[in-house]
Amino acid sequence: MGFRIEGALNYDWRWELIPDYIVRYREDREEWFANLLLQGLFATIRISIYASVLALVLGTLLGVARCSDNLTIRLLARTYLELLRNIPPVVIIFIFFFFLSQQLIDALNLNAWSRGIARSDAAPFWEFFFGDMRRFPSLISGVIVLAMFEAAFVGEIVRAGIQSVPKGQREAARAIGMSGLQEMRYIIMPQAMRKVIPPMANQFISLIKDSSIISLISVQELTYKTVELVASTRLIFEAWITTAAFYFILCFGLSMLFRWFENR
Amino acid sequence: MSTTRRKIMSNALGMAFAALTSTVLAVPAFAQSATQSLSSESVIETIKKDGVIRIGLSIFTPWSMRDINGELIGFELDVGRALAEDMGVDVEFVPTAWDGIIPQLVSGNFDVIISGMSVTPARNLTINFTNPYAYSGLTILSNSAMTDGFALEDYNSSDVTFGARRGGTPATVIGQLFPEATLLLFDEDGAATQEVLNGNAHATMGAEPTPSLEARRYPDTLSVPFDQTFLATGEGFGLRKGDADALNFFNNWIAVRHANGWLKERNDYWFKGTDWEDQVTQ
Repeated sequence: MGFRIEGALNYDWRWELIPDYIVRYREDREEWFANLLLQGLFATIRISIYASVLALVLGTLLGVARCSDNLTIRLLARTYLELLRNIPPVVIIFIFFFFLSQQLIDALNLNAWSRGIARSDAAPFWEFFFGDMRRFPSLISGVIVLAMFEAAFVGEIVRAGIQSVPKGQREAARAIGMSGLQEMRYIIMPQAMRKVIPPMANQFISLIKDSSIISLISVQELTYKTVELVASTRLIFEAWITTAAFYFILCFGLSMLFRWFENR
Repeated sequence: MSTTRRKIMSNALGMAFAALTSTVLAVPAFAQSATQSLSSESVIETIKKDGVIRIGLSIFTPWSMRDINGELIGFELDVGRALAEDMGVDVEFVPTAWDGIIPQLVSGNFDVIISGMSVTPARNLTINFTNPYAYSGLTILSNSAMTDGFALEDYNSSDVTFGARRGGTPATVIGQLFPEATLLLFDEDGAATQEVLNGNAHATMGAEPTPSLEARRYPDTLSVPFDQTFLATGEGFGLRKGDADALNFFNNWIAVRHANGWLKERNDYWFKGTDWEDQVTQ
């Protein structure tokens, strides 16, 4: 296949350059360090984890609100869900970024705060969790924007789970005198969540793939780093194939984890 | 709890929730007016106060690139570091996707764009430009086999296909110079050049020295057929509108650096020479 591509595509492969852009030994500092692609991979992992947690919390709240008895809450939740599920992710991410994240960052004065941390001695501790602290506001934008988008889908999944719990359960809970909150907490939610593990796993894997879209708002994750690498070195095919392999390992690994979790 | 009481409580809760959501949605509006009043103060003052100048740039060889250690190097980096040194502040480079670089300047993500941005009237309607600090012309890079014997006028025909990066100046110039030809747009330069290499496009245009570099790398397929350069209008710093102090400061900085020959020396190093190539790929 390599030979066919070379004949039809007129490209000289330079695979030997790629490992240097993953991990590299630096003579002047005498240490190994993660280069562009690995930095991007770590950023994608961080963003995926934080956005998943946030999307899970928001989505569960939305799903419960969607099933609430109160009409206002139910309508608000339904509007949010329907809006976000029916607009393409790229469009939503741009809208949220320019109208929500930017205002939030200015209001909380995140730029000055993160720069203060980057200059302080505590920087390495923060960098483990968030990467280069100077890029912290853009990381937060990416996480928030991705989480708000994915929360809509998680909300629908949670709603389906809640509504799939037999009505008899709810009636029985009321019969023994449980309040709405207790009924949710002890009867409905445990059953609902166990039922929706497969679609939820699917959604989180989808989230990892959707995280590549936030490269368009200049979040320094794997796709963005690959674009930078290609623009600097013209290693088009090698760079993108390597990135595809990284995403595959990440998503496939997660799906294996969920399969084990299901069978537990 | 009686049914009526539960209904009243539930409605009250719902109203409170609705009130909360509408207030939360109003907060961005307050924050926006705060941002506007902040930008009426010159960016030079905020740079001095914060002790750092944030420069937005986009990766584009050889203006700014990632070297083999993943660090940023290039003409823009030299300019930015010299500017920060002269201002007595730290410098922070904010790598940004080219498509969104102007919106992000306008919304305050960074203080100035130093990214080889050509001065064009269309962009000037949204942001201010300084005087040019570099003049790079565009040249045509074509597939030698497919454009054998073509004169300049032959490129302007409906059988000819061009490739270019979307949003970049070459795309606009191709549209103006060769209106009959088909234009394919891509997200990055590499893809446009690859199309020419594969024979799917006849030619692309790019700012020197990239076309000459590519022609040297693939001498059998690519060539720069004409010495003529197009659109040497010049590249300037991009700043937000309404900031006369910053415009004055940057213009004078550029004038000083032109006068003492520093800008020309740096420009020749990055654009005319190839000494830096082994730092990028080995």
